[in-house]
Amino acid sequence: MLFLAIKNLVQEKTRLLISVGGVAFSVLLIMSIQGLYQGWSNKIGEYIRTVPADYWITQTGATDMFHTPSVLPLTVRDFLNGVEGVASAKPFSGRRVAFAHNGKDINLYVIADDVENNVGAPARVVEGKAVPGEGEIIIDRVVARSENIRIGDTIPIAGRTLKVAGYSEGGYILSFSFAFATKEDAESILQLPGATNFFLVTVEDGAAAGDVASRIEADPAVDAITKDRFVENNTNIVRDTFLPIILVLLLIGIAVGMTVIGLTIFTSTIEKAREYGVLKAIGVSNRQLYTVVVEQAVTAAVLGYALGAALALAINAVAGNYVPEFITEIRWLDAAWIFAVTMVMAVVSSLLPVRRLARIDPAEVFRA
Amino acid sequence: MSVVSVQDVSKTFSSGHTAVTAVDHVSLEVEAGDIVLVMGPSGSGKTTLLSMIGTLMSPTTGRILISGQDTSTLAPAQLSRLRLREFGFVFQTFNLLSALTAEENVMVPLLTAGMHRKPARAKARAALEQLKLGHRLRNLPRDLSGGEKQRVAIARSLANDPRLILADEPTANLDARTGQDVTLLLCETACRENRAVIIVSHDQRLRTAAKRVITIEDGRLTTEEDGEHNQNCRMHARAGSS
Ligand SMILES: Nc1ncnc2c1ncn2[C@@H]1O[C@H](COP(=O)(O)OP(=O)(O)OP(=O)(O)O)[C@@H](O)[C@H]1O
Ligand SMILES: [Mg+2]
Repeated sequence: MLFLAIKNLVQEKTRLLISVGGVAFSVLLIMSIQGLYQGWSNKIGEYIRTVPADYWITQTGATDMFHTPSVLPLTVRDFLNGVEGVASAKPFSGRRVAFAHNGKDINLYVIADDVENNVGAPARVVEGKAVPGEGEIIIDRVVARSENIRIGDTIPIAGRTLKVAGYSEGGYILSFSFAFATKEDAESILQLPGATNFFLVTVEDGAAAGDVASRIEADPAVDAITKDRFVENNTNIVRDTFLPIILVLLLIGIAVGMTVIGLTIFTSTIEKAREYGVLKAIGVSNRQLYTVVVEQAVTAAVLGYALGAALALAINAVAGNYVPEFITEIRWLDAAWIFAVTMVMAVVSSLLPVRRLARIDPAEVFRA
Repeated sequence: MSVVSVQDVSKTFSSGHTAVTAVDHVSLEVEAGDIVLVMGPSGSGKTTLLSMIGTLMSPTTGRILISGQDTSTLAPAQLSRLRLREFGFVFQTFNLLSALTAEENVMVPLLTAGMHRKPARAKARAALEQLKLGHRLRNLPRDLSGGEKQRVAIARSLANDPRLILADEPTANLDARTGQDVTLLLCETACRENRAVIIVSHDQRLRTAAKRVITIEDGRLTTEEDGEHNQNCRMHARAGSS
């Protein structure tokens, strides 16, 4: 009897608002954090995908750009060029470097923009110069905006002073962002005389990529990692940082949502205990009564989900303009599992009211 | 076969070390078309007896058969179905669902029994119109007078064409005139359709509606007299319009 469930809900508008609001809050929370996770995961991969390489060659044991440092002597390049099936091998230098700005430590991942080899250019420059000149640096727009750094400002990095020459986009990752300096400046900042961090290898047409990788890895000092794998390894950093947070917020969201629906449905069930007793007396089965209560919880949850999801999408669309770090992506898949969680939440939180309902004695209805 | 057969039924409530025998070895047969008024002082066990007949409470000893079926052999879900199909309940406090309109309240037993919304609505409407409530279909209970509420409750009790209607003090929350009108209306409707009615009441004036009047004292059935109900049901046809 869905109509009874809906009528009961609508009768108590304040309570309905509270339960819908509670569910909306938890959906908003879960969806936003999931969206941020997804957004940041994509961002970190976005730049790496633009780098032209079939294989990333790292110092043995280094699997990504951030965890274990990878330093390779430039001489490795000759070895790589000599491997059968390698079309090109280019050095890629980049490392995390911090500088102080307005009393705050800002982390950049400085990349050598190697014009000669056509490696290490920004993915997209949105303002200013596209290629840094000597003594210049291109930083990510998100950092520029959040830290209020303008084109023309100078920033002190590793004992050098670099002038901001442009803003790039798509290189902001959580606690740091990609920045681009000339090969010479980067080498002095990164202190890599005669060395680089990675080599980017492309494979000749027709060569079996796996075989080429095996031949490269015959050198015990290097690992060859496919582009997809390398993207994934780097994305995992976001996952490792975020999963515990997501789990905690997911639990908080679920707890809030369940408490609010549970309490509102429970109080409404108690208030309507007599009416439920009447229904039992006139022959409505327990199972039908439980359905009414579960339907109330589920209806409130569906409304709450719709509101929460709408808010999440709205915030998703607007917040990035005000908070540059707020990079979100809400996927259908995520919307679907959050909906499923919401429904489970509603059903579980009806258990307590349903238990209360089971104890109502229909004979009570004859007492005035 | 009797609609109701109460066979040597007793009910004892025990709380702690005190035990109250609310119904004490009562036997009673109610046939189709019977209109039984149960009278007796407060605390004499009338509601307890009615609750047991209505399968809302089980006897401590004795058996109750509904259309020949021993109710003690039925599972809770079967009892629910029995109440839904065979019984109509009318209460002192009306007990309408506050969130539903008059029409929807009458639809509840129909929908519960599996009828589709459209025919259920039509049937509820017809029932309410018969009880002179055609102008109140869309009103919530809080907007209805006591007499109107009780007429909605009567329409609800009749919705599934029950064999037996059980009413406990249906007039107690109504003024004397309205109470009598409403009860006469209930009895007249039931009589016309050959349903059995058991009414518990203190109201002596309801004798005019009853075919049988039973008195209970201290849980025991003491007297049975004939009521003043005229066998011609149409005698009270004007009752609802007043
Ligand atoms: N659930 C119960 N637990 C304990 N005692 C009960 C219970 N229900 C009824 N009684 C007792 O059983 C006796 C009969 O009660 P019952 O309600 O059947 O009387 P009644 O004839 O309907 O009275 P009234 O005219 O006041 O409604 C009373 O003494 C009452 O206190
Ligand atoms: Mg009573």
